[in-house]
Amino acid sequence: MNRNQLESFLRDHHREAFLWARQCCGFDGELAKEVIQQVYLKILEGKAKLKNEDYPKTWLFAIIRFTAIDEQRKAGKTESLGAEVEIICEEQEAEAENYEALIRRLPKMQQEVMLMVFYHEMTLEQTAEVLKLHIGTVRTHYDRGKKKLKEWIEKMRIEK
Amino acid sequence: MRHSEEEQEIRGFFQAMIEKDLEIPTPDFPEFKKTKTVNWWIPIGVAACLVAGFFLFGEKESVASPPIGEVVIITLEEGPDQEMQFNIEHTTEMDIWESPTASLLTEY
Repeated sequence: MNRNQLESFLRDHHREAFLWARQCCGFDGELAKEVIQQVYLKILEGKAKLKNEDYPKTWLFAIIRFTAIDEQRKAGKTESLGAEVEIICEEQEAEAENYEALIRRLPKMQQEVMLMVFYHEMTLEQTAEVLKLHIGTVRTHYDRGKKKLKEWIEKMRIEK
Repeated sequence: MRHSEEEQEIRGFFQAMIEKDLEIPTPDFPEFKKTKTVNWWIPIGVAACLVAGFFLFGEKESVASPPIGEVVIITLEEGPDQEMQFNIEHTTEMDIWESPTASLLTEY
């Protein structure tokens, strides 16, 4: 892809890219705007190169994810992916209809897998490509995420 | 069957989330200025200098140089009493002058 084709591709996927950046930044829209700006610069200045032209969307999503991780680290917003986070998150109660709060209760990797599959309609293989994980690991996160989310959805329904 | 029901429920949850996210405004696509790979002012400047140089110096070269008027040749020669003397000659052409020491090349 030349520069014009890349710019056109980015324009076409702008909203989706912004929403994914926002999700990677813990639903922080302002940080997501900075991330997206940096991602586009990386792509248009040739710092990030598309090797396989068959999957430009997974490539874009992977760059967004890594840039978001870097930006969060700079902003001091990093969080470990350990089990402690999972326990603390589960203790928090999500409000009804607050989808973001419910997603945030999941561990980071499960959040990303669930969002990629159900929100951005990617396959598990594509998700593995974006997250740079083995397909088996992605499947594990997917199954656990689905199980937990279902439990919480049912619990919320009963509480209503 | 149970598996698909579970998935259906989660799909419904995410569908509702997508609909709610429609309220989120999309930021404007950032404008990026294209950085030109070649700055055309440089080759244009070089070409202009070459053209100007051609007109300024090329014309001077074409002007025929004026003929040499009188040439004065001063040589130091040994006189009859073995004293060194200056010999001054006037000529209009340089080809007729022969070095007084040219014989050294042939005699020795």
